[in-house]
Amino acid sequence: MSAPHPQVSSTPWAIDIDHVGKVFTLDNGESLVAVDTVDLKIEKGEFVALLGPSGCGKSTILRLVAALEDPTTGRIAIENRDPLSLSRQHRLGVAFQDHALLPWLSVKNNIALPYKVAGRPVDHERIADLLGLVGLKGFENARPSQLSGGMRQRVSIARALILNPDVLLLDEPFGALDAVTRRHMNVELQRIWGEERITSLLVTHSVEEALFLADRVIVMSGRPGRVVKSIAVPFERPRRPEVQRTAEFHSLADELTLALEPEEAAAS
Amino acid sequence: MMKIDREKATDLVLGVLGIGLFLVLWEVIGAYRLAGLTWPKLSDVLAFLFEPSRQGLFLRAMGASFSMVAAGYVLGLVIGIAMAALVHVINPLRPGMDRFASVVNAIPPIALAPIFIVLLSREVTGMAIATLNVFFVIYVATTSGLQSSTRGHRDLFAVIGASKIRRFMSLDMPAAFPALVSGMKYAIPAAFIGAILGEWFGSSRGLGLLMVSAMQNFQIPLLWSAVLIASTASLLAFGAMSLLERFVYGRFR
Amino acid sequence: MSQSAQIRRSSGGFFLTLVSRYWGVLAVLLAWQAWVSISGVNAIVMPHPIDVLLNIVQNPGSYWQNGSQTLLLAAGGLVMGMALGTLIAVVAWTSRVLSGILIPLGLIFSSVPVVALIPVLARLLGYDVRTVLAIVVIISFFPAFVFTSAGLRALPPGSEDLFQVLGASKWRRFVHLVMPSAVPNWMIALRLAAPPAVLSAMVAEFLMGSSGLGYMFRAAATDFDTAQAFGTSVVATAISVLCFTAATLAETRVNQKWK
Repeated sequence: MSAPHPQVSSTPWAIDIDHVGKVFTLDNGESLVAVDTVDLKIEKGEFVALLGPSGCGKSTILRLVAALEDPTTGRIAIENRDPLSLSRQHRLGVAFQDHALLPWLSVKNNIALPYKVAGRPVDHERIADLLGLVGLKGFENARPSQLSGGMRQRVSIARALILNPDVLLLDEPFGALDAVTRRHMNVELQRIWGEERITSLLVTHSVEEALFLADRVIVMSGRPGRVVKSIAVPFERPRRPEVQRTAEFHSLADELTLALEPEEAAAS
Repeated sequence: MMKIDREKATDLVLGVLGIGLFLVLWEVIGAYRLAGLTWPKLSDVLAFLFEPSRQGLFLRAMGASFSMVAAGYVLGLVIGIAMAALVHVINPLRPGMDRFASVVNAIPPIALAPIFIVLLSREVTGMAIATLNVFFVIYVATTSGLQSSTRGHRDLFAVIGASKIRRFMSLDMPAAFPALVSGMKYAIPAAFIGAILGEWFGSSRGLGLLMVSAMQNFQIPLLWSAVLIASTASLLAFGAMSLLERFVYGRFR
Repeated sequence: MSQSAQIRRSSGGFFLTLVSRYWGVLAVLLAWQAWVSISGVNAIVMPHPIDVLLNIVQNPGSYWQNGSQTLLLAAGGLVMGMALGTLIAVVAWTSRVLSGILIPLGLIFSSVPVVALIPVLARLLGYDVRTVLAIVVIISFFPAFVFTSAGLRALPPGSEDLFQVLGASKWRRFVHLVMPSAVPNWMIALRLAAPPAVLSAMVAEFLMGSSGLGYMFRAAATDFDTAQAFGTSVVATAISVLCFTAATLAETRVNQKWK
């Protein structure tokens, strides 16, 4: 099981997922291979999307990078460091499908939460800037229960960005939204990301979302989860929504869809 | 499950350990008189309790108290369910009934005792207070349970053209069942409290009377025995209801 | 808020609101009055409402003194019991072993009639006003402990992962996540514990006291002074409803902000 890769003390990668595997022990004592030897390098300032059907282990990879789980085999490094030490230094930003806003805090205080958790003085100017960036000016004192689903995710993304993290982790952030809102949020996220250019890892099952947002799309297949395809997205930034209607976008989308559904490809 | 089973096993071991520690502490405090002469050893209380010559005394007291508890429980249960069903079907009655139930809950039963003594008799005052206590718990549980059917299900019944009564019988009632059973569980100690309180206001029988007379006459083992009997009975009934609740949750949710 | 809404309504609307909210209470009061009038029972057995009222108005001193004592004991005991229950719940939260031992015990004590412990506590601690306070503290302790313990574990979905990724220390996790999460449950405990606090203070006074509403009630009953006995009931009910309403209002306000 030892990594066949020579251990290098220093890599040029922002995120280095080095031959990582993850095995869960199930209820009946059997083991489930959630991730089978995934090897993935992400450059500094790169936006990578992990695309796959549900249960393919893509969320597990994100949780491994977020230090929420430990890999069974292989190792993960962010900026040459252990993910756990980065989270302890408050250098990770994260947004989940479940917005995880604290219901008793106002929008402003939810965004300020990472400062308090890190024990740093709250930078009110930075909060005001981010509120503007995510389009929530005027909602500072609203509470999460008063916001729509899309607005809650904007707050959640502003909270992920507030501490200028080294890495931004997005786990299906728009998965619970309706299709129209979701498309709109993708355009917004693309614009926001263009301003900050943080190394990002997005987990999604939407082909269009992955293509529109990412520099590189990694397709995974399930049980056990492994990488089946990787394509570089050629579109210039900043991207306009119209790019989704080009022939190139459609042919790439078809290619990714085929990679997602190999059985159908074999049948046709 | 390996992990979850281990968690559960740890919970069980710690729970048993806690109860064991509690009983040992009870014995030790009694043995070394750490809390004075009025804290008997657990073993003394048990010996007192199971002394054959006192069987008659305890059995009579238990019979009197438990019949009040049971009667009050059943009455409160029936009235609570009936009222909840009534305000569910005739909705305008609901705010008034809600307010009435919460006022009933807020009134200290001791304040109602004189009314019950006049209206009924000293012997059944405990039952009346138990009825009120149980009524409140059951009414609150049932009204909230009756509203727990989902929007989708209600729409389905509307689309298939079910009558209000049909919907009540086939949808609202089964949906309310888990909440009702939880209410029935929490109503158990409420019924015991009601019956004991009632007996303190001048009943001539029952565990409550034993407690008060033992307290006044410094009959320490008798006092603790009576409290132990009432607590154990309530705990056993509560445990039985928890089992029923678990079954119902598995079946209806 | 409901007050201004009521003022805006016409007086007819106000009357309707009153009837729709209080028909149950009104019906019981009317039934009482009707029963007294029709059956014409002896005033010693069942006093007329007006005699009860007169008794209260004519003895303001003793009602005030005993009533305020009971209110203070109940409210003070409630606050102290809630504080103690919260403290123990927090201590138990910090340790798997402690919570594994204490939480089942707390559940056991909440499923037995704790009011039955009053005579035991009275004998243990002696007949004294401080014993009344201790009884209220102990009876308020159990709901506070059980509900706060559950609240400390009822965290918003996803928040635990969030705090871990943000690198929160255990202390900051406690201050910014765990403690605030327990607030709604804490308010439930306060509302549930308020009526038993008043009740147990009165019952303790009734069983052993030399002052307070419970004692006053007992003295009146012994002297067959039914007007005074019912007057005590009325004042006790007022105090209990006051405590319960205050707790319910506090809960509603907090939930508006918290959920």
